[in-house]
Amino acid sequence: MTQSPPAVEVRSLHVRFGEVEAVAGVDLTAYAGQATALLGRNGAGKSTTMRVLAGLVPPTAGGATVAGHDVRTETLAVKRATGYCPDVGGLVTRATAWEHLQLAARLRRLAHWEERARDLLERFELGDAAHRVTGGFSHGMGRRLSVVLAALHEPEVLLLDEPFDGVDPIGVDATLEVIADARARGACVLVSTHLRELAIQACGEVLVLRGGSRVATVSAQDMAGEEGARAYRALLD
Amino acid sequence: MPTALSSTEASPRAAAEPVWWRPVRDVGHLLRFRSASVRHRARFWWAVVLLGGITLTAAIAPAFVTATDSRRLDVATLLPSAMAGILALSVFSAIAAGGGRELIAREKAVAFPISPATDHLGALIMAPLNIAWLIQAWVLLGATAYGLGGLDLERLLSGQAVMVLWLVLATSTGQGVAWSVEAVRRGRFGLVVIRAVAVLLGVAALWVQLTGRVTDMLDRVPTRSLVFSALEGWTWRWGQAVLVELALAVLAVVLGVIPAQLAARRLPHDELRAEAGSRMPRPMPFSDLSALVRIDRASVWRSVPMRRGMAVLAIGPGLVAVLGGLRWESITILPGLVVSGGALLFGVNAWCLDGRGQLWRENLPVRPGLVFNARALVLAEFLGFASLITIVLASLRAGIPTVSELTAISCTLVVVIVQVVGAGMRWSNQRPFAVDLRSARATPAPPIVMVGYSGRLALSTTITGLVFSGLSRLPDPSISLLVAVPFVAWSTARLMRTRRRWIDPVARARVVTTVSA
Repeated sequence: MTQSPPAVEVRSLHVRFGEVEAVAGVDLTAYAGQATALLGRNGAGKSTTMRVLAGLVPPTAGGATVAGHDVRTETLAVKRATGYCPDVGGLVTRATAWEHLQLAARLRRLAHWEERARDLLERFELGDAAHRVTGGFSHGMGRRLSVVLAALHEPEVLLLDEPFDGVDPIGVDATLEVIADARARGACVLVSTHLRELAIQACGEVLVLRGGSRVATVSAQDMAGEEGARAYRALLD
Repeated sequence: MPTALSSTEASPRAAAEPVWWRPVRDVGHLLRFRSASVRHRARFWWAVVLLGGITLTAAIAPAFVTATDSRRLDVATLLPSAMAGILALSVFSAIAAGGGRELIAREKAVAFPISPATDHLGALIMAPLNIAWLIQAWVLLGATAYGLGGLDLERLLSGQAVMVLWLVLATSTGQGVAWSVEAVRRGRFGLVVIRAVAVLLGVAALWVQLTGRVTDMLDRVPTRSLVFSALEGWTWRWGQAVLVELALAVLAVVLGVIPAQLAARRLPHDELRAEAGSRMPRPMPFSDLSALVRIDRASVWRSVPMRRGMAVLAIGPGLVAVLGGLRWESITILPGLVVSGGALLFGVNAWCLDGRGQLWRENLPVRPGLVFNARALVLAEFLGFASLITIVLASLRAGIPTVSELTAISCTLVVVIVQVVGAGMRWSNQRPFAVDLRSARATPAPPIVMVGYSGRLALSTTITGLVFSGLSRLPDPSISLLVAVPFVAWSTARLMRTRRRWIDPVARARVVTTVSA
């Protein structure tokens, strides 16, 4: 059986901001229908790697392809193929939730998107807040809407950066459902988080980053339970 | 057995600290915290030296300019009105800033126990970092040096002491009035009360103007007695004036704490309503550009501080033009001032408008050039709208313009908008800052940077306004059009260069990650 080409391929990725090297040689391969977690402490390089894959930050050295497109030269195609939930904020403060969805639908050329948008808003319990200005949203509501925006167009590659951060159990369940749906339709999912338990619940494979570099790639089962917690802590130190 | 203090026990030293001293000490801590975050320290100190140098030059140099006594007296007679002008400016700029500028941004301040009294003192320190205040202060000190100076050093020093204390008194009074207005505005029916008072003041000013009592009123301003005292040199009367100014300044600072505390206890209802309000859904935008423009417009026009700032900028100069009976050749100067002021509301750091939403927006598949076009367009229409309100108000008294005057003012409007949008977008790319503009007290860049921006904008737009003011007197309107062409071409070329820089992914990533930080 021949395996399909990777949906995300990162080769020796380096990202430098001035004197700070945020990512120092990350390698990663993720396939369609799989969910991979990026685990690590604050400042491990998870969010910067996600930003590179979302087409926001160009690599300083090394390279990455997303859905077969080079992030450096085919940025627009990368943005079309991805759905991205940023780690911080991610919402335009004075626009409503519906206006966010309209903008995404317009720029992504989506037809008949309203029904799916309403369904997603209901699943994330944001139906009543659809026409409210997001500046008045709580942190958890903002996170949930960011996941909705990332998933709206059923992207080939779903990039969720800290999607569980400050989210209530209903929001967590809805996010896990979105990840499962994406895998089921053959999308590649990358979830960046520092919450080990949720990472292993959502993903099949876990990549541990430390100091901007990959230190291990293990299956989610190996990270589960007390044994997994000890192994994870050992990888972080 | 001797024991050390437990963590819950108050230290005797802390208990000995007087209540009034704590805000003063806290302001010192905040200033040190703030100065530690200055990115380019050398540039900062050069700016401080430059501002100090200009102030000293303004306060001393005009005294040594050769002039007749009658000429000096003419200038000295204008000093009481200039002092009243400083007071009016201090009041209005502090009101427009929602009570005064923040020493520490609201988002960062929540982590610290900053009392309203500390906030009040911080806002007082920040008040002079405003180009309008600085220019007025320099003009006042310069006029004092010229009017009272000559070879009499004693009179110069005594006069400047009175003026410096007046600047302190006017600023602290303005601050107190602004906190009071903010406290009322945040109360029940506060908005209605404030708007009613503003209308009444406008009507009263119009009545004073129409009944020809402006000169009478200016002749009776209480600042006259201070100027007479300043003229006398080191006399008992001068000493009394200085003591009165000092006492009033201290009183204004202390009394200002009361409305500051009252305002801090009340929530800004209109801002909260705007943030939590619902909006009727609109049909899908018909193009990518219209979609981008729509969301950018929402960021600007749904912001209470932005709308308030624009109203002050548009209506203020318009009313001055009506009250002063300005003619069209003078009105030509106004669009430049309004456009410069409007750009300082957000245009000099235009990418901070989305805040952290910029990260999500940057993942949308749209050409970066189109995003740039939308932002520049929204900035231009914001500035144009404010200027048009000013021009319409000014025209109420100036009458119907001649073709030359109409052409000149139209050209001025187009030229200054292209100039300022170009400068604003250029600075937004070069020096982005992560700023939350939800508060009227926030500025899109640090105050010292804002002074630099406002000075440069005011200089270029005033020169442009003066050029077209001269051209409006010429009989041939086509000359204005011909002169406007190189202005517009040069500014458009610079704007296009900024756009090319924005398209570069590395430069854009730097801006996006900075404003989203």
